[in-house]
Amino acid sequence: MKAKNKKSITGTLAAATCTLLGSSALEPVQAQEDPGWDFNTSLLYYGEDNDRVQDLSLKALTRRTFVDDRFLTVGLTLDSLTGASPNGALPQSVPQTFTRPSGRKTYSTAAGQLPLDDTFHDSRVAVTANWQQPLGRLYQFNVGASASKEFDYLHLGLNAKISRDFNQRNTTLSAGFAVAQDELDPIGGTPTGLTLMLDAADDDDDDDDDEGRRKGPRETKDILDIVFGVTQVVSRNLLVQVSYSYSDTSGYQTDPYKIISVVDGTTGDAVPVIPAPSNGPSHLYYFEHRPDSRAKHSLYTQGKYYMDGKVLDVSYRYMTDDWEIDSHTVDLRFRWPFGGSSYLEPHLRLYSQTAADFYRLSLINGDPLPEYASADHRLGDFDALTVGLKYGWKTSGGNDMSVRLELYTQSGDISSSQLIGNQLGRDNYPDLNAIIFQFGYQFGK
Amino acid sequence: MKNRDLQRGIIVDQQEGYWRGQFSAMASPCEVLCEIDDPGEAERLTRIVATEAWRVEDKFSRYLRGNIVNRINEANGAPIEVDAETAQLIDFSTTLYDLSNGRFDITSGVLRRLWTFDGSSNIPSRPAVRGVMQYVGWKRATWQAPILQLKRGMEIDFGGIGKEYAVDRAANLLRDASALACLVNFGGDLVAVRKPCARDDWKVGIEATVPSRIAGKKILNLQVGGLATSGDARRFLISNDIRYGHILDALTGWPVPDAPRSITVAADTCTQAGILSTLAMLEGAQAEQFLNAQAVRYWCDRGNDS
Amino acid sequence: MRAFLFIQGLLVLGIISGCSTMGVEPWDRDVLAKEEMQLTTDPVEAATDDHIYFSKEASSGGRGFGGGGCGCN
Repeated sequence: MKAKNKKSITGTLAAATCTLLGSSALEPVQAQEDPGWDFNTSLLYYGEDNDRVQDLSLKALTRRTFVDDRFLTVGLTLDSLTGASPNGALPQSVPQTFTRPSGRKTYSTAAGQLPLDDTFHDSRVAVTANWQQPLGRLYQFNVGASASKEFDYLHLGLNAKISRDFNQRNTTLSAGFAVAQDELDPIGGTPTGLTLMLDAADDDDDDDDDEGRRKGPRETKDILDIVFGVTQVVSRNLLVQVSYSYSDTSGYQTDPYKIISVVDGTTGDAVPVIPAPSNGPSHLYYFEHRPDSRAKHSLYTQGKYYMDGKVLDVSYRYMTDDWEIDSHTVDLRFRWPFGGSSYLEPHLRLYSQTAADFYRLSLINGDPLPEYASADHRLGDFDALTVGLKYGWKTSGGNDMSVRLELYTQSGDISSSQLIGNQLGRDNYPDLNAIIFQFGYQFGK
Repeated sequence: MKNRDLQRGIIVDQQEGYWRGQFSAMASPCEVLCEIDDPGEAERLTRIVATEAWRVEDKFSRYLRGNIVNRINEANGAPIEVDAETAQLIDFSTTLYDLSNGRFDITSGVLRRLWTFDGSSNIPSRPAVRGVMQYVGWKRATWQAPILQLKRGMEIDFGGIGKEYAVDRAANLLRDASALACLVNFGGDLVAVRKPCARDDWKVGIEATVPSRIAGKKILNLQVGGLATSGDARRFLISNDIRYGHILDALTGWPVPDAPRSITVAADTCTQAGILSTLAMLEGAQAEQFLNAQAVRYWCDRGNDS
Repeated sequence: MRAFLFIQGLLVLGIISGCSTMGVEPWDRDVLAKEEMQLTTDPVEAATDDHIYFSKEASSGGRGFGGGGCGCN
């Protein structure tokens, strides 16, 4: 019985029907589901502790199906960011004052606190569009565009991908590339890298030629990404993907708002400005400076395994670049269905990275300045862990809804050999703890 | 006969972009859609289709005294000589019997005495089913064209293929009678004869058995070819929380467990579509696997989500 | 770290060369057709995560292209 199941009977049936009806040379049938719009929307809250960044984001993705397996997908994202980010300076046992990026005012941090810049209450709008269609029987082609805008940032990008099926569609090879040009127009102009943070200028001082401040053309960076991938059906229940990507960025990659504390070579404490300015930085801080080019290689592997209704999704990514950053990401998801149309999906993500070669906690007063330096934690040594749970269900109208709650924690990994003097007793790199809460709703018309 | 004549009227009315002829046949509302402006021509074509539908119904209905099926079913073990068209239908049924490994069988009609799919919980007993099963089985019949001999107590019933066959026969006549794009629809089993000119496609609605995200009805776009739906939206039994669909497995005499609520298949002819959807239902839980192996377009509704 | 890359490269070659015999017949693709077995089950959730981790870490992407850059890194 089983063997017969799997045979194709359409040939025999067609011949028998032809004999019965006496009709030959009929047109082959053409029938499809009426294309409509599928919507995938979500509301996201992301919040870090200690008055750090909070983000509220609305996302909508809509896909229209056309005849012959062609799809148009359009996406829109609206983000509203509030809260404060670390500015790169080290916590001290005395209060610190910094000039705001606008160059007009200052802000202060209490003793013992991680310096945070709360200037930014930013909104971001991003749009994407993607067209997918088959080319012939075995090829599929994708082309897309993306754009996003924040008050000081503009991104424009194009991407394309082609894939081909082999081996009765059990193997798919794909190749794609993306190009983008991003423009940054920092508040207050672009500071020259590795120059001192200056005093705030008075409101009525129209002198734009401050040393170290450039109100020049916008900074740009060009990004090229290339991806090659293999997807392989291993068995009825197992699907595996491997992909290699190369990314090249050239242009301005420095964060114009981030600084590095200058410290005394013995005590490790920040060097105060004497006499203390009435309206300026309390200590010596240099603006950071990153290289003009960055080349990244990533290798990504993913497997999806079906076990009697439950699905295990495991992926691993290795990244290495010419800034000497290496990272490992392991991501595990387990979807556990129950009750016919609901599911629970626990999620675990483990991440670790090594620091960029120009990453440093501080600059030592009197030492020659390096060519590049940054104290941005995101370029440092750290491990991160995400633990989450997602719950999904179907509404009475047959639409998909889901909620997920995740906790993300990032903890820096600084060996004591990198610390100087009083830095050893301080929490120089406080953990990042964040909550991710997302509500999703999918429906179609 | 008088009643029948009353029920055998044709009505034509105008829709958007086409004329529609309606009539009743084989216990189903039937319609013929013609992409045309001329009501007279629409009626002529509808009459061609209706005449063929009533002809097939009268010839092969088991309810009509004196027709070939009735004579076979009352033969009481004697051999009966059949005409060419009936012989072809029997040959076709034999092929289906082989393709389905005996689960599709035109001698299984006698089981209707036990199974009334009216939404109640009247499940026949196993001994009762066994009793009737001695009269079921094509292998018990002797078929050597044009002579058919059934054992006493056996009957044949073309109900499983009759409607789709009529649709395709009518479509063939239409194809010869006119160069227009038309659609022939007998209660959900339909075929589009030629692609429409003034629009992209014929829009066909399939009722979902439970509300789905497209407000209870899936819309299919049909350019040309046949569609047939096997489903138990209205014909079923429920007992002990188990839902029994109306497709009976002729080998066991029982409904097929874990069959989908509804399957719609698209194929070159309505007959092929109907056979594939019936054979898929007979596969029960393996329905989708079976249809995937046949590489046909299908839409399967299992009631809950899938 | 170079060794890592090398081992991963071997894995890729192994998969590609083993590909010609691996797989299933078309009628056994029912499980693979399920929504939860797609490589990216929820593109909105995936894009959200990609963006969060791109803003907070030094790595990005891996499986494809993101929806675009931002000023956050």
